[in-house]
Amino acid sequence: MSFLQPLLLAGLPLALLPLIIHLINRHRHRTVEWAAMLFLLDARKMNKGMARLRQILILSMRVLAVAMLIFAASRPLSGGILALTGGKADTVIVLLDRSASMEQQILETGESKRLAALDKLTDLLEKTGQSSEIVLIDSATLKPVVIDDSTNLAELPQTDATSTAADIPALLQIAIDYLVTNESGRTDIWVASDQRESDWKPASGRWQSLRTKLAAQKNVRLFLLNFPEASTSNYSIQASNVQRIQTPENLQLIFDLRVGREGLDEPLEEVTLPVEFIINGTRTVQEVTLIDREAVLQGHTISLGNSDERGWGQASLPADDNLRDNISYLVFDDPAPRKTVIVSDDPDTRDAIIAAAKAPVEIGATYDAIALDETAAAQVPWQETALLFWHAPLPSPDSTEAKLLTQHVKSGRTLIFLPPETSEVGESLFGFSWGKWQESSGTPLEVGWWRTESELLANTRNGAPLPLGDLKLSKTRFYTSESQPLLKLESGEPVISKLITDQLGPTAGNIYIWGTLPRTDHSTFATDGVAFFVMLHRALDPGVNSVSRAQSRDASEGTLPALNVIRSLSSPDQSPLHPDLNAGAYEVTPLRGDPLLFALNRPNSEDSAKTLTDEGIKSLLEGVDYRQISDELGSGSSLAAEVWRAFLLAMALALIVEAALCLPPKPGPESSPLHLSPPARQSS
Amino acid sequence: MPEPIQRDFLDPAVLGRLMGLPLNSRHPMVGSVSGRHRSPVKGSALEFAQYRKYVPGDDTRRLDWRTWGRTDRYYIKEFEADTNLRLCFIVDTSGSMAYGEEGNTRLDYARRIAGTLAYLAAQQGDAVGLYSGSKDFEHEVPAKRGPIHLGIIFNQLGQLNANGESGLVSSIHQAAEKISQRALIVIVSDLLFEPEPLREALQHLRFRKHDVALFHLLDRQELDFDFDRPTRFVDLEGGPSLLADPSLIDRRYREALTNYFKTVDEIMNHSVIDYHRILLDEPYEQVLARFLMGRNPKTARSAR
Repeated sequence: MSFLQPLLLAGLPLALLPLIIHLINRHRHRTVEWAAMLFLLDARKMNKGMARLRQILILSMRVLAVAMLIFAASRPLSGGILALTGGKADTVIVLLDRSASMEQQILETGESKRLAALDKLTDLLEKTGQSSEIVLIDSATLKPVVIDDSTNLAELPQTDATSTAADIPALLQIAIDYLVTNESGRTDIWVASDQRESDWKPASGRWQSLRTKLAAQKNVRLFLLNFPEASTSNYSIQASNVQRIQTPENLQLIFDLRVGREGLDEPLEEVTLPVEFIINGTRTVQEVTLIDREAVLQGHTISLGNSDERGWGQASLPADDNLRDNISYLVFDDPAPRKTVIVSDDPDTRDAIIAAAKAPVEIGATYDAIALDETAAAQVPWQETALLFWHAPLPSPDSTEAKLLTQHVKSGRTLIFLPPETSEVGESLFGFSWGKWQESSGTPLEVGWWRTESELLANTRNGAPLPLGDLKLSKTRFYTSESQPLLKLESGEPVISKLITDQLGPTAGNIYIWGTLPRTDHSTFATDGVAFFVMLHRALDPGVNSVSRAQSRDASEGTLPALNVIRSLSSPDQSPLHPDLNAGAYEVTPLRGDPLLFALNRPNSEDSAKTLTDEGIKSLLEGVDYRQISDELGSGSSLAAEVWRAFLLAMALALIVEAALCLPPKPGPESSPLHLSPPARQSS
Repeated sequence: MPEPIQRDFLDPAVLGRLMGLPLNSRHPMVGSVSGRHRSPVKGSALEFAQYRKYVPGDDTRRLDWRTWGRTDRYYIKEFEADTNLRLCFIVDTSGSMAYGEEGNTRLDYARRIAGTLAYLAAQQGDAVGLYSGSKDFEHEVPAKRGPIHLGIIFNQLGQLNANGESGLVSSIHQAAEKISQRALIVIVSDLLFEPEPLREALQHLRFRKHDVALFHLLDRQELDFDFDRPTRFVDLEGGPSLLADPSLIDRRYREALTNYFKTVDEIMNHSVIDYHRILLDEPYEQVLARFLMGRNPKTARSAR
């Protein structure tokens, strides 16, 4: 409970006035000589039960009435749904989910989940946070900002809509760091989100640490303002794998298109949507029929004019509950060469990789692969390399090679570590280091499990698994790392893993560890080359995007190169303040060189409407004292409402009860005055 | 030098007006001299009582010759014997009798009633006695006739002091034992004690064939209990004082009062007592007039 006029609470002792008056009244008694003590003593004996209780109740009601009046004058606040504000906090930290899914709105009012959360938090802060320091941390920038004026959070640039994804564990971590650094005292943390699983990342290993840290903060109260309500009619569109190819007739743009729907109850009705394409200003419409939850158009082709070698476009759906997922941008330019570099002294390994890397997969693309000795690592053409195989001992983290490798990954390229021949453990880089070699004793080692739903070893588009069951391994090398296993032996040892590169930034490429070599004495990767070929080209694809002059990226802070001139192609009149947070087509002109095209879209994870259950949140925050408010769009409820009327009502009730208790009792036959009058003569 | 004895409880005007009303007993009295009250002994007074057959040994002077002449049988004609009355007062002198306004306390009122009745009784030749209703029974004046004795009675009345706890019940028992012959016993008290023991005391008097009258003196304040703020009530009989908020207990007070009256009424009715509940603001002349007229067979109906 908090109050808008807390100073008036200083008058609360006045509530004792009725009691004090009662005591003074008793003290001001007069003294009389009295003969009929007999009746007084009897009356006092009879008065000990209900009458005494009645008197106590009368006094209590009077005290209560005065107290309620003072409370009402102090303008108390209470939670609209729950009593949320249990007193003023020194610091209020607002963690705002600015992900694209928070833009789900009511079409009639245009109020999105983000705006609803901001309105409620603004209202709450206006009423309770005048004397608190207010800190805003948004999911897009992850930077704590101290807010001077909390009257309209929705007008701050840090609370604008974005097309980014959110990382709730990262938000909480930054909030905790802020608390520790600034010694914030009593703090309320408000997390406003739509409870999407993709944002809360329940599988993240950071939750355990967060739980411990939050539970250790005794002066911190955590409030979750969630909007888990799913949309009743929302469709999303995403274009990917954009390629410009040259056919004998003309230039063509080929891309995959996915149209999905969410939040609709089974059974799903067949629906046909008009998808509008605008490529370099030319508009076409294609109808897409959804039978299930999604429809995928693979290799959708749009003819380009002969002069349209470079440009941008968009695919869009009619307006629905969430405007942010109704449009997907794409850019195209001359295809970049798909260059693979291997740093290795082992000829067999080099040959196998070069052979696979040079084999063309896509029509019109240029494939190139070169090999360099370990000693010539400095000669790697970093600007052109999309995929780098490092078959050499790990460099020291402070070395030039390590810095170049880090920059390579940070710029979105792919790096694959192969096990060096030397048996020395060596250095540690990116949190990983090589272990000992393991050789099979006669019988080859067999694959026990591999990840089929995503990444390098995922099933093919038609659902067929890669032929990894026949893979035989004779020699593998152990390694220690914080990684996501992609392939394991029957013994459970990982052979192929993907390193977690969150700390390298949002545009970082992938780092893979292959614990074996494509040599006959190590594995059958090279001899049964299908799986090896697929793995290599799947690793190559994302890296190629980073070396291309037309790149597709997920919207996130820092995704566009810094220190460049950025021009919005999709909204030339309304260039956003933070272009890298908003979906669109951009032209980025570096200080030197030709302009690059960037298509920024919301991450695919934002199209997943899967929300975290309350039980899920409970298990994530086990041991943490938190309160959850599940709200809905357009509910109109307030987080903190003035409740003085309730106190006035309580005061009125107290006075009515007091008046009822003070009513003189109905005179009964026993107390009739006739009996008190002396009879003329009682007997004779 | 002895303190002058106050006799301001006697009002000659009131005495003069009440002189015409005789003080009668409700029961036959046994007196030592001839008087105006009925006696259980048949004698030769003017009031005819009955005829009875002559038996040998009767005084032949009381034969009714006229009846012999008509019936030829001997009858003795008997008349009521008139005798004098013994009037004994038992005046409660407990501390609570001091309650009331200055000059009109309950004890003052009791003095007026007792003094006036004593004078009236003496005037018609009756004997008058006085007993105090205190614990130690300190005043005891047996009933006698004559103006000198009346003076003693007045002196004793003037010397009565109200203090201490009530000893009325024990005084009644003692008086019942000490008054050997039938008498009219007038009790003047506030009866501010548990009334139940009074039942046995009154029965004791009735057992001794006394005619008992009781003046129950109450103040209007005691009935109304009209206080507007907390008050410390100091017990006039020396008990512990009591601080109370009358507004909180007035209902219970009235309940207690009502219960008390019920008990008192029941005791009085059961004991066949000539009971008078008096408020101190009522003129004692009216009270006594009503009392005297109620005892006069000719005026009793109108007095009631």
